[in-house]
Amino acid sequence: MSDGIKRRDFLKVLGVTGAGAGLVGCSTDKVNKLIPYVVPPEEITPGVATWYATACGECSAGCGVWVKTMEGRAVKLEGNPNHPVSGGALCARGHSALQGLYDPDRLKQPMRRSAEGFEPISWADAEALLASELGSAGAATLFLSGHTGPTLGELMDGVAQAIGGRRVAYEALSEAPLREAARIAFGRDEIPTYDFEAADLIVSFGADFLETWGSPVEQSRGFARSSGVSDDGSKARFVFLGSRLSLTGQNADEWYPIRPGSEGLVALALAGAVARRGGNAGPYADLLAAYDVAGAAEAAGIPAGSLEDLADHLASASSPLVLGPGVAGQHRNATAANLAVLVLNAVSGAVGSTLRFASPVNGIPATPYADVAEAIGQMSGGAVRALVVHGTNPAYTLPTASGFAEAMGQVGFKVVITPGMNETAALADLVLPEQQPLEAWGDSSPRPGLWAIQQPAMRPVPHFDSRSAGDILLGVARALGADLGAETFHDYLRNRWSDRHAAAGAPGASFSEFWREVLRTGVVELEAPARSEAALQPPDRALAFDAPLLDGEADGLTLLVHPSSRFADGRGANRTWLQELPDPVAKITWHSWIEMHPDTASERGFRRGEIVRVASPHGEVELPVWTYPGIRADTVAIAMGGGHENTGRWADGRGVNPMALLPAEAEQVSGALVHLATRVTVEPTGRHRRLASIEGQSQTFDRPITPAVELGLIGELHGDDYGDYEQLRELQGMGGFVPVPTDGRPEDYPLEGARYGDYDPATNARWAMAIDLDKCTGCSACITACQSENNIAVVGEDQIMMGRDLHWIRLERYYETVDATQPGPVDIRFLPMLCQHCGNAPCEPVCPVYAAYHTPDGLNGQIYNRCVGTRYCANNCPYKVRVFNWYGYSDVPEPLNWQYNPDVTVRAEGVMEKCSFCVQRIRGAENRATAEGRDLREGEVVPACQQSCPAEAIVFGNIRDPESRVAQVSQNDRTYRVLDVLINTQPAVNYLRKVTFHPVKDIHV
Amino acid sequence: MATATEKVDRGAATHPDVGSYTEVNTDILAMLSRPGKWWWILLGLSVAGIGLLAFSWGNQLINGIGLSGLNSPVGWGAYITTFVFWVGIAHSGTLISAILFLFRARWRQSIYRAAEAMTVFAVMTAGLFPLIHLGRAWHAYWLFPYANQRMLWPNFRSPLVWDVFAVTTYFTVSSLFFLLGLIPDIAAARDQSKPGTLRKTFYTLTSFGWRGTDRQWHHFGKAYLFLAALATPLVLSVHSVVSWDFAMSIVPGWHATIFAPYFVAGAIFSGVAMVITLMIPIRKVFGLEKFLTVRHFDAMAKLILVTGLIVFYAYLNEFFMAWYSGEDPERRVFWERLFGHYWWATWIMLLCNGIVPIMLWFKRVRHSIAALFVLTIFVNIGMWFERYVIIVTSLSTEYVPFAWGVYRPSFTEMGIVIGTFGWFFFWFLLFIRLLPPVALAELKEVLPPPMRPKSKQEEVAR
Repeated sequence: MSDGIKRRDFLKVLGVTGAGAGLVGCSTDKVNKLIPYVVPPEEITPGVATWYATACGECSAGCGVWVKTMEGRAVKLEGNPNHPVSGGALCARGHSALQGLYDPDRLKQPMRRSAEGFEPISWADAEALLASELGSAGAATLFLSGHTGPTLGELMDGVAQAIGGRRVAYEALSEAPLREAARIAFGRDEIPTYDFEAADLIVSFGADFLETWGSPVEQSRGFARSSGVSDDGSKARFVFLGSRLSLTGQNADEWYPIRPGSEGLVALALAGAVARRGGNAGPYADLLAAYDVAGAAEAAGIPAGSLEDLADHLASASSPLVLGPGVAGQHRNATAANLAVLVLNAVSGAVGSTLRFASPVNGIPATPYADVAEAIGQMSGGAVRALVVHGTNPAYTLPTASGFAEAMGQVGFKVVITPGMNETAALADLVLPEQQPLEAWGDSSPRPGLWAIQQPAMRPVPHFDSRSAGDILLGVARALGADLGAETFHDYLRNRWSDRHAAAGAPGASFSEFWREVLRTGVVELEAPARSEAALQPPDRALAFDAPLLDGEADGLTLLVHPSSRFADGRGANRTWLQELPDPVAKITWHSWIEMHPDTASERGFRRGEIVRVASPHGEVELPVWTYPGIRADTVAIAMGGGHENTGRWADGRGVNPMALLPAEAEQVSGALVHLATRVTVEPTGRHRRLASIEGQSQTFDRPITPAVELGLIGELHGDDYGDYEQLRELQGMGGFVPVPTDGRPEDYPLEGARYGDYDPATNARWAMAIDLDKCTGCSACITACQSENNIAVVGEDQIMMGRDLHWIRLERYYETVDATQPGPVDIRFLPMLCQHCGNAPCEPVCPVYAAYHTPDGLNGQIYNRCVGTRYCANNCPYKVRVFNWYGYSDVPEPLNWQYNPDVTVRAEGVMEKCSFCVQRIRGAENRATAEGRDLREGEVVPACQQSCPAEAIVFGNIRDPESRVAQVSQNDRTYRVLDVLINTQPAVNYLRKVTFHPVKDIHV
Repeated sequence: MATATEKVDRGAATHPDVGSYTEVNTDILAMLSRPGKWWWILLGLSVAGIGLLAFSWGNQLINGIGLSGLNSPVGWGAYITTFVFWVGIAHSGTLISAILFLFRARWRQSIYRAAEAMTVFAVMTAGLFPLIHLGRAWHAYWLFPYANQRMLWPNFRSPLVWDVFAVTTYFTVSSLFFLLGLIPDIAAARDQSKPGTLRKTFYTLTSFGWRGTDRQWHHFGKAYLFLAALATPLVLSVHSVVSWDFAMSIVPGWHATIFAPYFVAGAIFSGVAMVITLMIPIRKVFGLEKFLTVRHFDAMAKLILVTGLIVFYAYLNEFFMAWYSGEDPERRVFWERLFGHYWWATWIMLLCNGIVPIMLWFKRVRHSIAALFVLTIFVNIGMWFERYVIIVTSLSTEYVPFAWGVYRPSFTEMGIVIGTFGWFFFWFLLFIRLLPPVALAELKEVLPPPMRPKSKQEEVAR
């Protein structure tokens, strides 16, 4: 025994070797910092989101947003439900602000022009340089700004004043003609506010109020509420008059494909016809008498009788609303056209009910193009010695012919304050990195009396040494000896708000409490929105209502340059979510296209994807053809937003900038830039490209996919009658599988045949969704919301061309009735297609490894870890909602990866993914309820798409709960489930049929 | 004496020009020792093909399955097409060796060895594709039911899991059958090879001590019969299961009850065609005209004709059923096949598999080696396109029109598909140089037994 190893020795040896092995195993070269806080900051609990209310700075609509931050990083934007503009919704551009924040192409530090491009300099040097240059330029300093918050605008004016210079505020998408028309017609120099919700007849002369015109989110909500059929069967009619069906036009019930430029004549003729039917034209009665329907109809290229019909509708409508031509329709007589529309509103009785003027007058008006043109003149004349550009990109958004770039070259010192490089900054002497709205202070006032604070949702992104524009300006003012009463812009903002608080009668206990409360809620109504009456007054200047002159050859095609619903004037072009978001009309991503009627295209022998040379007297561009039945044969359209040069890796060199084709001309009356100004010739180049489109086939072939119902026939849809499918049903019965009819009654669930998973009806929810297709406008905000929430990767142009789109929602668009040759009903159907979470899911049995499986609460789960990538599930999915990671798409350059939501797995290469019904939100809500010892409340789980939907078309919840909204909405005669009658998949998504005014083919579903 | 006469007749009928057992041994085994120039060239090409396969697949493993041309909605394309193609090719070997063995179709003797080898190598080739087409090939073993702590099993409802079992079973049984049948012939090769060579050692090991005793023959015969019986149902089951990969889904154009017999017929059709395509050059190069007679080719051509007619009937039946279903999704897929984006593939399929084999009604065609060679190449091409049409057109035109899409094979896919031919021929070329490609022992069974010549005259005649 004594010779052998003693037990103790053995244990010692074992202990030493074990520890050694352990030490060797603990390699230190890959230490992952999980949560590096030693002393955790207040308000930050790892894994728990903190929400901040702020204001969206993407467009002038000024929606309120909530920013979800986790561990101090912003990860998601949502509409602020307290905010009267956004009402809880948010558009795709709003969501993309997150990518603006983390854009890897943002400036890392101030840059100064040197012999070979730009060189970095320190902030101290930059500010000193700026102060000395502005100081020496003095009164010859020009501030060129875009839309700013009211306080920043005031500060800018203050600084300009202190130096002695002046400010020109220029917005590319200006509504100057409307404003001027309102002044002429009603003596009100302001943009009217519209009540879409109250309207029962909406007539738009081309205004894209669901996309870019006005306040799209708010208007979409109002429009969906009025045009979506209500329980009592009422539904507002929407008539669209214009040469091209924009997304807004695609939502119309009737389309009058009028010739571009004839809007003024048609509106006047309609006003006259309504006046003859008893409308009061006031001082315009004589003018109206001079314009008859027949003449207008001829100018518009449509039958006169149809206009009389429309006049009947307008005269009989109780609250009509007529909207002007919008930005794309800004032509040489745009003010007259807008005036005609306002007169038509007045004659029809809309003014004071659906169209109102608020008091007091809102903010500082953006200056029209004419003022910019004047400034360009001064710049090239050498009268401007220092130019400060902020929040606008004139070198890109102005027509090439405006000569802005050359004029800028004549200015001695040019400074551009911008978050990232752009075309204007590339021409500057000094470029100062500005903070993004999500990390800077600011405010917004979307309409009189309504105020919101834009507070930073996180510390500035550390990769970029940026400052807020306000701080930069205050620094300059300080250096020049001007005292604006604040050290930082935060203080300045607080001071100004304190003044406003006092002016509004100091509501609440004290200013600091008021301030805190506004920061918490994000918005405050300082003055009640006083409505003031407006009456028509005689015009104080002569206006021509005729069709405007167009440049170019008389046999050319009229060019429509319209704002993009994804990029507006082009500002979001370096955001991959927006680049990859299929255009709501064309379904094209990543590049530009020219819209052309199929007849025009076939006449010229153009196929889809043919690259053509489009030439106007002012310039030419080359881009591929996309044939579209929703555009007049004599018109072609190009969206703004492409063709960037110095904006970033994803924007540069993509598509074309149609501004190259336009003249640099201001409309005579309002000074607005004319967009509808020229005809173009379209010549083949002999080249062809594959469009980066997600569009397959835009017809349903009468399959049970998007049925509609005529307004009067709701309630008469078949119940247990199976129509064409009776025989199929018999056959299915023989096989033991019969589609289960349900109108969404909670007691029907779980449906018979939902056979997979441990589905215990006694204890489990059945998560379901209802989508009202009569409300869905196809705006695609849900797609980007989903992308942001669920870390959906961006695949890029070449992958989209191959058909490898990764979005979890596909907004399908089917043409039912589209006729560009004559007025009549237009019927374009939208179908947001997402995973249907089938009760009898075809994807589940085919997966060899159980990566696709059924959860006990009826969800169709997808386990990324377990997926081996056979793609059988996607093949067998009749809805084609499963998407595959062909490559590892999720690797994005720092700090764009900060956008990822830590609650959701970032998917690796080679796995399948699809809509999860935002399962992380379901589980989060369940955990919260469990922690609080209660049941889940109805409405507690809101998936990202529903949260974001401006039209309020999506409802989600537990359909087994009779009290749930989804159950209540689903119990509707219009409810159907896509393809269910054919293949018995028992989807959890109930769609509600679109409702039309015209008879439609009854598709059995 | 009557028995001997009968044997003489039979031998004369199948191999009229083969004289004696010795002749069989010397002529066949000579194949193993004569490395011609062409053999080396073909082997070089095959190795190049394997290089292409390794490069393309390696590239795909490193960079992602995205290097294929697959997309949404077409999640399966050239890989699964070629998988089914090779599984189909793998069919005829077992059919010829097992089923024809059980039915005592004597004409099989001189071709079955090569057909079996083809089967084994085709399954080896086909087996690569389920790995190649996976998004995460490194997790392929998850499809096998292996014991693990988490009690995770594959989904036995999934046809892909059935596929795993069907193909692995088929591979196991057909390999065993192939190797077992080889034992007596390897022993013959062993006895003829020079002592001390590597060949000798190899044959000694692989002949498992075969000495040709009665007892050994007895056991061999039983085992062979047993394996033949075991392999026979597999001939039907493997391709039925492969067809269920499609038929069990709800994809229009896939979901059809006719698929199992249709695929089995198609597999035999393509497999026999491939046997002919392979045997004709071998026969020519090695001068095996007296072993592989026109009669053999005639019999195989008849088999092609029969199965070809079944396949063509299945095509017509599919079109008819699509129309008869009355459902737009079903009808449109078939309309698109004929006149849509992939019309050319469909017409190649119809021409090669439906029209061309009709020529086999003519005896002159069946008896012309050159005509058969050309015709079977048509059939091989047609059968590849048949699978391509079934897989790609159906997926590209499914239920939701807005999600329709077009698939174009990529260079990586073409590289892999071409590369697997190199892989297959590499093994096949090694086979014909290393193992007796014609079954010596069974061939001798059908020859007249060696007897002392009855007269001088007769001996002279021989």
